[in-house]
Amino acid sequence: MENIVPLELMAAGEVGHVVQVDGSPEVVHRLAEMGLREQVRVMMVQPGRPCIVAVGDHRLSLRMDEKAEIFVALTMDA
Amino acid sequence: MPLTVAIIGNPNTGKSTLFNALTGLQVRVGNFPGVTVEKKIGRIKGTAQPIDLVDLPGTYSLSPRSLDEMVSVNVLLGRQTDVGKVDAVVCILDASNLERNFYLACQVLDLGLPTVIVLNMFDVASTRGVRIDIPALSKKLGVQVVATSAHRKEGLDALKAAIASAVPNGPGTRPHPFPETFYSECHQLASKLAGLCRSDAPSFLVERALLDVGGYLETEWLDDDNAAEQWRTALVEARTRLKDAGCRVPAIEAKARYAWAKQTLAEITTIPSARAETLSDRMDRVLTHRFAGLLIFAVLMVVVFQAIFSWAEPLMGWCEAGQSAASGFVASQLPPGTLRSLLTDGVVAGVGGVLVFLPQIGMLFLFIALLEDCGYLARAAFLMDKVMSKFGLNGKSFVPLMTSHACAIPGIMATRVIEDRRARLATILVAPLMSCSARLPVYTLFISLFVSDSPLLGLRGARQGLTLFAMYALGITAAALVAAVLRKTIFHSETPPFVMELPAYKWPSPWIVFSRVWDRMMAFVTRAGTLIFAAAIVVWAGSFFPGDHSQEFEKQRLIEAAEPIKSDLLLQEARTVEALDKLNQRISHAAWENATERDDILKLTASTQTELAKLKAKLKPFEDASDEVNHMRASLVEQSFLGWLGHLIEPIVKPLGWDWKIGVGTLLSFPARELVVTNLGIIYGLGQDVDESDQQLWSTIREAKWPDGRPVYGVPVALSIMVFFSLCAQCAATLMTIRRETNSWRWPLVTFSYMTSLAYLAALVTYQVAIRI
Repeated sequence: MENIVPLELMAAGEVGHVVQVDGSPEVVHRLAEMGLREQVRVMMVQPGRPCIVAVGDHRLSLRMDEKAEIFVALTMDA
Repeated sequence: MPLTVAIIGNPNTGKSTLFNALTGLQVRVGNFPGVTVEKKIGRIKGTAQPIDLVDLPGTYSLSPRSLDEMVSVNVLLGRQTDVGKVDAVVCILDASNLERNFYLACQVLDLGLPTVIVLNMFDVASTRGVRIDIPALSKKLGVQVVATSAHRKEGLDALKAAIASAVPNGPGTRPHPFPETFYSECHQLASKLAGLCRSDAPSFLVERALLDVGGYLETEWLDDDNAAEQWRTALVEARTRLKDAGCRVPAIEAKARYAWAKQTLAEITTIPSARAETLSDRMDRVLTHRFAGLLIFAVLMVVVFQAIFSWAEPLMGWCEAGQSAASGFVASQLPPGTLRSLLTDGVVAGVGGVLVFLPQIGMLFLFIALLEDCGYLARAAFLMDKVMSKFGLNGKSFVPLMTSHACAIPGIMATRVIEDRRARLATILVAPLMSCSARLPVYTLFISLFVSDSPLLGLRGARQGLTLFAMYALGITAAALVAAVLRKTIFHSETPPFVMELPAYKWPSPWIVFSRVWDRMMAFVTRAGTLIFAAAIVVWAGSFFPGDHSQEFEKQRLIEAAEPIKSDLLLQEARTVEALDKLNQRISHAAWENATERDDILKLTASTQTELAKLKAKLKPFEDASDEVNHMRASLVEQSFLGWLGHLIEPIVKPLGWDWKIGVGTLLSFPARELVVTNLGIIYGLGQDVDESDQQLWSTIREAKWPDGRPVYGVPVALSIMVFFSLCAQCAATLMTIRRETNSWRWPLVTFSYMTSLAYLAALVTYQVAIRI
């Protein structure tokens, strides 16, 4: 069974893949351009607000607002 | 005819290094008209046919959200008239991260221009185990693909050859990533648009308009209100139809382009599945650490601040020395008169007023370029984001605001790193509130005069120190409040989520650092510099005319003609004083053999004293003449346009506890606040060579009286002056820099008005409260 959590609740070192990006169309579009999109593999490097996530080979610093949320299906055994 | 080739790529793909390596220093830097985007064009070295390379800002996509972002699209489509038709485009990709970079590459190939794809940082990718079949990729895309490692200067010749042959090779295969329904909707929209007098729109722009919800092409493309309304309706209808067809906009773009990327790259690249921890990751564990990271950042900021504040000081001293040498030279060549006054007080002062900022600008950008190029600046922004976001700014606002404490001009120029336009403007607008080094003379003068240095809690000077601290705290508090208010009012927007890439650390390239510092300094001199210079001339004229200066000049001429006699007398005076000192010493030590010698010494002392008195009497007329000229200047300033204005505003400044002299002094300091001490010197008839520790100025200020005999100055007035100077926009150079950076007169005007009103209100409250307690 997949365990789906908001990206901001991931613990350091947890790995998963993005299942859904919520927010205004512009925000979702921007995030996708920077590589944060559905199906992409992410790893939480440093939780917090802002947090640091590894997206593929990139490191992104991220602070979401109230209206945007990224949901991640955690990879259990990673 | 030189070829025009545009160069585009994701941020942090080494685009600047590549641009510099290809063009060298033969670069023209300017602004695209009407926007804040920098225009950089360089000639490629060593090609048979001349090729001009146009540098476009680093971007993740070609989807224009604002006029600024529209510029890149316009350049690529040949619609930017000041660049002209673009013959080819070079798209730079990070070889280690091809999939995401291919999003932009897909859009670039959609333009249908002759294209060269550059896989940069190929060496890094290779060590990571990334394998790319370049000939196969080239074949699939139908364009040339070149592998480079720009920082090692590898692959540059192949790239030059590829650029030179790009035009004859023609455009590549268009990716065509969307389903057919999308293209047929675009087709319909294009004909709709032709009916709305936009028949020239290329299909690329129509596609973008359909894809970019809330983008520039949707909201600001058509000026005609009626047409714009019809256009928006057409877009909404088309998007609804696409959604019903299972092709939701804008999500379809990411889906389609990434699918294209995946399909194109399949079987061409192999990427190692397990990613080893890099040195960058290990460094980040310390540098972005909640405590260690902040501590390191704080130490770094202290060093940077100290450097701008104190290391630039000797260089600024040279500028000032050069300025007075130039003035002295002009004075030695020309008789006193309007021309000499214009040259020394207008032209030389104006040029000096520009050059004096260069050491600080150079120093700050040296640090910023170093930190940016090695990748640390993004970490600094990450660390400060938590605090800054509380005031509606983001982490990238911190460094500009911090450095504004040395000088707001480099601070404002450093806001270019902030991509969010509203956050950037808010940062620019509050940066001048930070107490810059030019406010120090004002603080020093009034604190040492009116704040007691009696010990507080056993610490001498603690009251003075606390007052100075309060002035800095006032600026920071005001900036935080104003920023918060701005973000809630004129810059109101949904604060977009803050997303920033943290590039891998690398050694800064000296060439990039040098060219960044050079660009910034040149930009300041050519753009802001000319405006600052013009402002200096205007102020000179305002304080010079319409008074009749003939008597002043005549007197000045006499003084200068008698200068040799005066210096001779001064020399004699000094010698006599020295002789007298020696005699007095002998008397006090009773250093004589007998009574005769004693009498001789006493006699000699008496005659030397008489001589000194005679010399002093001879020197008196010279001093009187200088005083007279200073008084003439004081009254000429009072009669000048600015003096007249000062009297006019007296009723306005009276509630602050000021008389017209403080009013004029302040008014004359609007071009540059550090002038206030000199201006007070001129107004009080002490001449212009006074500084904040001048005893004569101190006693004059202490003794200044209202016509009814009450003293003008006291603690409340001193506080109200300091508060006013701390918050007021008294710096033409800063306003001109804002004008240049925002490319509009609106923002310097807004800054000026809000800061001046704020300063007035705060000074009013300070004075009215202070006289009642």
